[in-house]
Amino acid sequence: MEDRNTRLIVAYFDKTIDDDGLAELKEWLESNQDNQEIFSETIQILSASKSYFVKPDQQAANWARIQAHTATDGIAQNVAPQIDTASLNEHHEPKRFYLKRWFAAAAIVLITSAAAVTGYRYFSPGPVHPMEYAQFSNPNGSHSKIILPDSSIIHLGAGSKIRYEKSFTAVKRQVYLDGEAFFEVTHHTNRPFIVKSGKISTVVLGTSFNVKAFAAKHKVAVTVRTGKVGVMANLNGKSELLSYLLPDEQLEINTETGKFNSRAANAAAVSGWTDNNFVYYNTSLKDIAESLERHYAVNILFADPDLASIKLTAKFNNLPLSEIEDNLSQLSGLSFSKKGNEIMVTAHQQKRRNNMK
Amino acid sequence: MYTDNTDEALIVRLKRNDPVALETLFNRHYKPLCHYCALFTKDFAAAEEIVADLFIKIWDNRHKSDILNVKSYLFLSVRNLSLNFIQKKKNPVDSIEDITITQHELQDTNTPFSVLSGRESNQRILRMIERLPARQREVLLMSRIDAIDKHTIAQVLGISVRTVETTLYLAIQQLRNQLKIS
Repeated sequence: MEDRNTRLIVAYFDKTIDDDGLAELKEWLESNQDNQEIFSETIQILSASKSYFVKPDQQAANWARIQAHTATDGIAQNVAPQIDTASLNEHHEPKRFYLKRWFAAAAIVLITSAAAVTGYRYFSPGPVHPMEYAQFSNPNGSHSKIILPDSSIIHLGAGSKIRYEKSFTAVKRQVYLDGEAFFEVTHHTNRPFIVKSGKISTVVLGTSFNVKAFAAKHKVAVTVRTGKVGVMANLNGKSELLSYLLPDEQLEINTETGKFNSRAANAAAVSGWTDNNFVYYNTSLKDIAESLERHYAVNILFADPDLASIKLTAKFNNLPLSEIEDNLSQLSGLSFSKKGNEIMVTAHQQKRRNNMK
Repeated sequence: MYTDNTDEALIVRLKRNDPVALETLFNRHYKPLCHYCALFTKDFAAAEEIVADLFIKIWDNRHKSDILNVKSYLFLSVRNLSLNFIQKKKNPVDSIEDITITQHELQDTNTPFSVLSGRESNQRILRMIERLPARQREVLLMSRIDAIDKHTIAQVLGISVRTVETTLYLAIQQLRNQLKIS
């Protein structure tokens, strides 16, 4: 049997044959009965050879194994300056790190390891079809609690919105956040929970943490309540470890300048808003006002912008707004007067009007 | 995942410690590599393990050297790992010819035979394939794996493309002859 004809038969079987080849093959077949026998035998041989192979069925399991390996090994190899966690637990000025090659298109990926098992799993997308989302949003003045299909709990803050794909449990546990939320994520090995806020992604297996990421503010702050978080920055496809975070540690990133710093924080205080508890430590009135505006759906105006830079330390446990106003007034020496949905802050001391609470 | 990156681009990403690059490579090449490996081990479960181990090794050694042709490297590595695997299982043998011949008695479980389509003719042919000279068997089966073309076979085996072709045709010829007499 000539090589030429075998080549054609193989090409025919592999579906790589071209029109000329097909014509030639046909001619050869028709020229002699024996050729047809040769043809069918060869096809049979090729077909039997192909049937030798079986579809692998351990792909997913094997990938999980590899991934566990890269997660521990890769991250460990990546740690550059060791963070002195002992010093982090004391109260002192935050350490500063400056990422030189930061580009606007950076994304930060947070990876956490719950117990001894570390894992970062990225699921390949399934069949392409339009995603269906479930969406929740809170206007200023209210916050809510959402329980996800996997029993994770999201405390969604005021003026914030969140959405997730309806195929949530089946494939990726992923939510999109614009605003503030406190997450209590149930632990599932090999199924990471991903919070996407703009260009920042937080990936965890099961921990509780607070994410404050208002797109308009270009700032992302992640505070860890329980569990351990490794923070990675994804710069143009290159992954770099920035820092590890332990409970009561906070990482704040300025997505415009690329500056980020980590510091000790009282995680319970940071996420206290879920119980209407607010803690402000040496915070400017401007920031306090912003926070109150969102949580209570009011508008706070300062007669003199300088007034807004006064710093206060205060703690409000589940108080109505009027009591908060009183407190702030006493602490700052300023006057807070409310008209409808607006609070005007002035320097003049004014007599308190009716309604003592 | 980086599905439109070339293998070589993925290696570059890999050197930058990007695990998603590894995953892209893994998903892309897993099935053909398992098939190729099973060619030697005849045990599909073992083949999958070996391939997974290879990817772990690739990750561990990602900074050590440059891989110029990723596909050939992958198949060549699998080949070596498979041969090691076989050697560990049986007594040391001198060459791959010996290995193939002593393994023509096949166990029932976890071999391609146990998952045959049931067509008797296929079974017959598969048995004959096991008795082919090692090189012919390898080329014939390798050529049946999706995503492997004759250039890859040539590179992995270190022979010319022409030799790949002639070996394939010889194998087919051999089998045809055997079909006639049996």
